Parts: sequence; C-alpha cells; structure tokens
Amino acid sequence: MRGRQVAAPMLCGAVLCGAMTGGCHRANGGVAGIAVKERLQPQPVRVGPSVVGVELSDTAGKPVSHAAIIVEADMTHPGMSPVFADAKEIAAGSYSATINLNMGGDWVVLLHIKLADGRKIERQMDVKGVQTN
Amino acid sequence: MSNSPSPNDDLEDDLTDDFVESVPFDLLLVPVVGRLLKWRHSRTVLGIPLLIVSLAMILHGLFGPTISPKNLATVLTWVHFRGALVLVILVAGNFFCMACPFMVARNAMRRFIRPRFNWPRGLRNKWAAVVMFALILFAYELFGLWSSPWLTAWIIAGYFLAVLVVDGLFKHATFCKYVCPLGQFNFIASTVSPLEVEVRDQQVCTGCHTKDCIRGRRDPRSDLVLVQRGCELALFLPAKAGNMDCTFCLDCVHACPHDNIGILSRLPASELMTDPRRSGVGYFSRRKDIAALALVFCFGALMNAFGMVSPAYTVESRLGHLLHIQSQASILGLLFIAFLVVEPAILLGGAAWVTRSCAQVNRAWLPLMLRYAYALVPLGFGMWLAHYGFHFFSGLYTIVPVTQNALASLGWPILGEPRWMLVGLPKYVVEPLEFGFLLLGLAGSLLIVWRLAEEDAGKRRIRAFLPWAVVCVGLFAASIWLMTQPMDMRATMMAG
Repeated sequence: MRGRQVAAPMLCGAVLCGAMTGGCHRANGGVAGIAVKERLQPQPVRVGPSVVGVELSDTAGKPVSHAAIIVEADMTHPGMSPVFADAKEIAAGSYSATINLNMGGDWVVLLHIKLADGRKIERQMDVKGVQTN
Repeated sequence: MSNSPSPNDDLEDDLTDDFVESVPFDLLLVPVVGRLLKWRHSRTVLGIPLLIVSLAMILHGLFGPTISPKNLATVLTWVHFRGALVLVILVAGNFFCMACPFMVARNAMRRFIRPRFNWPRGLRNKWAAVVMFALILFAYELFGLWSSPWLTAWIIAGYFLAVLVVDGLFKHATFCKYVCPLGQFNFIASTVSPLEVEVRDQQVCTGCHTKDCIRGRRDPRSDLVLVQRGCELALFLPAKAGNMDCTFCLDCVHACPHDNIGILSRLPASELMTDPRRSGVGYFSRRKDIAALALVFCFGALMNAFGMVSPAYTVESRLGHLLHIQSQASILGLLFIAFLVVEPAILLGGAAWVTRSCAQVNRAWLPLMLRYAYALVPLGFGMWLAHYGFHFFSGLYTIVPVTQNALASLGWPILGEPRWMLVGLPKYVVEPLEFGFLLLGLAGSLLIVWRLAEEDAGKRRIRAFLPWAVVCVGLFAASIWLMTQPMDMRATMMAG
C-alpha cells in the first residue's frame, strides 16, 4: 500500500519532468552543404495569390538544379484547408510557386524539397498577419 | 354534432395533458443504450477511451509536430472536441461531463487518497469558476492557444493536475461544482438540452425514507459502509430542477433502490422559463454568480468569435493608438472588460429600467436583471454552436491525416500516407447550419423572455417583453454580423 502511495506521485512527477524537457521546438530540417533562400511576395502579404521564391545553392555558391519542391501553406488554426503548389525551376537553382492564401491571419508555409540525388530538405516560413483585402 | 365542449372533452384534455406529462422519453429505458448507461461502471468505461486520447494529445502536443493543423492536441481540442461537445449538448445533454477523462484519473486517485477537507464555505459559489472561464477566453486570444500544440498540451496536463490536487484535498465533487470552467460551460449550456436526469415518479420519492440518491447506498449490515455513493454535487433528486450542476454521472441512478430515476426528455430550455428552488443551487434569480456565468457564457461567445474576424484587429489597433497603449494584454483586457462587463451591464440595466418604468413590474432593478439574464443563454449557445460548429464541420476530416501522420511518425504507418487534402464539409453546407443555430438561439431566448414577461407583467406583458426582445435581437444581429465577416485568425492580435 505504501509502495502504491509513493509510486503515484513519482509517476506524475516523472511525466511532468519529461514533458517540461520536451518543450523545445523542432528546427528546420536541412542538408549539409545546401543553402536555401526563400522569400514570399508581395509584402505585406495579403489574401490572394502570393509567389514563393526558393533559391538553392551548394557550398561553392553554385545553383542546385533539378530539385522537386512542393510548397504547402497551412493556417495556424487547425481544421482549415491547406494549400499546395509545385514549384517550377525558372532559372538554374531558382524556383517559383504561386500559392493562394485564401484567408486572413497567420500562416505557416512549408517547403518540401527533394534534391536530384534523393536527399530531402524541409523549411518552414512563418507568415504572420496575412491581411484581408 | 355540437361544438360546445362536453365533460368528456375536458376529461380527454386532462388525460392528454397527463399523458404528455407522465410519459416522457426515457433514455434509460432504451434497449442496449439504457442497460449500458445503468451499468455501474459505465462512466469509467466511457471515460477510459477519452483518457487514452487525452494522454495521446498531451504527448503529441509536447513531442509531435509544432504546426497546429498537424498536431493531435490542437486538432482534437480546438476542432473536434469543442464542436462535438456543443452538438451533443444540443441534441442530448451533458454527456461530455459523464465521460470526463479527468474524473477517471480522479476516481483512480481516490482509491488511494481520501480527501479530508471541506471546500471553504466562502468559495461555495461559481465566482472562481466564472473568473477562470473568462481567463481561459482571455488566454485563448492573448496566446493564440489554437496555434500552439505545446500550450494546448500543457492546458490538458494542467487540468489533470488541478483535478488531482483539488479533489485530492477536498471532499465530494469540489472540482466539478466550484472550480472546473469547462464544467460550468457545460452546466449552463445544458440548461437548453432536451434531456435531464430526473425522478420518474415523485410519489415514489415521497414514500422513500433512505434518500440514497443523495446519501448514497449503505451496506445493509453496516450504515457506515458506503456501497454506492449518492450525488456528489449535492443535488437531491426529488427537488432537483434542471441540468445546472448535473454531470450526468448517474450516481443517483445507481444508488436509487426504487429504480425511479431516468434520463427524461423535456422541452429544451424550459428550465429557464421558470424559477423554482433548485436543490443544490437555490433560486436562479438570487444567484448573482450563476447569472454572471450566464452572461460570460453569452457575451463571451461573441467575444470569442470577434477575436477571429478582421475588424477585431482594426479595433485593437485604433484603441492602442487612441490610448497610447502598446501592451497587447492591456488592450485585450480593456476589450474583455468592455464586452463581458460594461456591455452586459448597460444592455441589461437599460432593459430592466425600461421594464420597470413601462410595464410597472414589481421587482427591484437588480433581481429583474438577474432574472432575465438567463434568457440570453440560448442566444449565447447559438453563437457557440455557430462558431464551434463551423470549425467542427469545416475541419471534420482533418483528424484522419493528423492521425495517419502521428502513427507514421511512430513508425506504424498502418493507416497509410497522410491525406492532407481531407478537410471537411463545404461552405455551402456549413454556412446555413451556422445561421440555423443562431436563429434557434434567438427563438429560444425570445420564448423565454416572453414567458418571463407574461409571469411578471400580466396584461402589460408586451411592454415587459419588448426591451428584452430588443436586447436579444441586437445580440442576434451582432452574431450575424460577426459570422459574415472575413475570417482573420492571428495568434498575435496587435500585428498588422
């Protein structure tokens, strides 16, 4: 009985300690040797079409071509429809996609990048306060 | 054929009335469902799946994706749980309190820890819970809780901790009755539910001497041994009126030796049309704390929806410039005071003053305000339904890809690749439902106001009805306006 009385608070404590240490946020996933530059235009971002530009380069600054990039935009409120678009390579190492941010508020834009050699990169852009027209 | 009423017609009317009054639908008499609910362990069995889901939400919220639409904690809490809760209250009753996962943890704890203290007398009211309810609404806007799986998980974990601490120290269902803000929301909302835990036959109770429904059933060999607890929320069933403070735990059903308690149908919101002395509650019209709860419930519904539309940010921005305030919390605090305190005081105070002046109602100003405050509950509930129903229906299927993703990230892709394009019902289905809920709320509130005005003012009932009807229609118009505004969901209110 005494063992049970001790075990319950200890279990609660262990769960809470574990939870407290787990509050870190996940960093953007990257691949060594590949630099990713992303931008969203126009600024400030308004409801409607926005252009996501992505530039990929290696350590020598050479553009990285033939990557497949999927752009995903989610509202920060759950339960809303996500928006997807495939980015096209418009110049060597330079990619562009148009996404339709269909609601005002905070958005998260995710870049799912798959390099030609199969390696994957994930990037996240926080887009605060998309304004209604 | 004569048209004049005959004694037989009167008798038939009486019989019809008796029939309508004496044979309501009783959920406990429905095959299978009734047996399941009457089973002594039904509450635990219903609560265990929700407990497991709650623990999964905490873990996923703390360790899973940080993006809100991809996390079980945020998707289930802010899309599915809230929506399902108000819909179940609308079509049935307070079944979410019945299946409360926190009570499973609390009951398990009480197998080892017996609480020793009584809740302090000065706190035996709803004031603390009302303040906490308002604070949750405030924190929801200030911290953008919907956008943070981590904070959402901590709220759930904190809730478990609070239940265990409060009910570990204090006897009876202290947490449910005096502390739980979610429970208070359910209590006040379920006053419009169509089902109520009620005695089937008052005469059986009149002849009952053991009062097991409140005292609990004792072992026949020893009166000190409790074999089934009675109502922990101090509701004595023969004198219970309405759903206030009833968690649908069914302890009374299990304790009653005469099988005289059912889950009976009734006219939704009918308990708000009268003001009887309610066991464990007292008179609604004398309970300022419960009236305050009703007002925070109603005006909080508007405030909560206001925080999700574009004009909210314009108002905040202008208020900030006008008052030279940069602090987001301060601006939001001012808005909350304006919406939850000043606005109700002006609207209800004004309506009460007009009612007293024009209809010569023989009630003091404050009791009159308190009495009619409850009439706004259906309107508020309509707004909660419209708002939460919108998120629930428009994001109905989002739980599928989020669960697929959660399992896949654990290395068990048994449900396949996440189908992120699964969202919910289209706008042309959801929008009419929203407006339907608002209309339903307005109809309910007007009906209650009319009944109260009839009772208060007799021949001058229209004069007593009109001021309150104006308040109701005004709030309804505000709700419609809110629902037609472009959505703008920001975790940072002052941005832009």
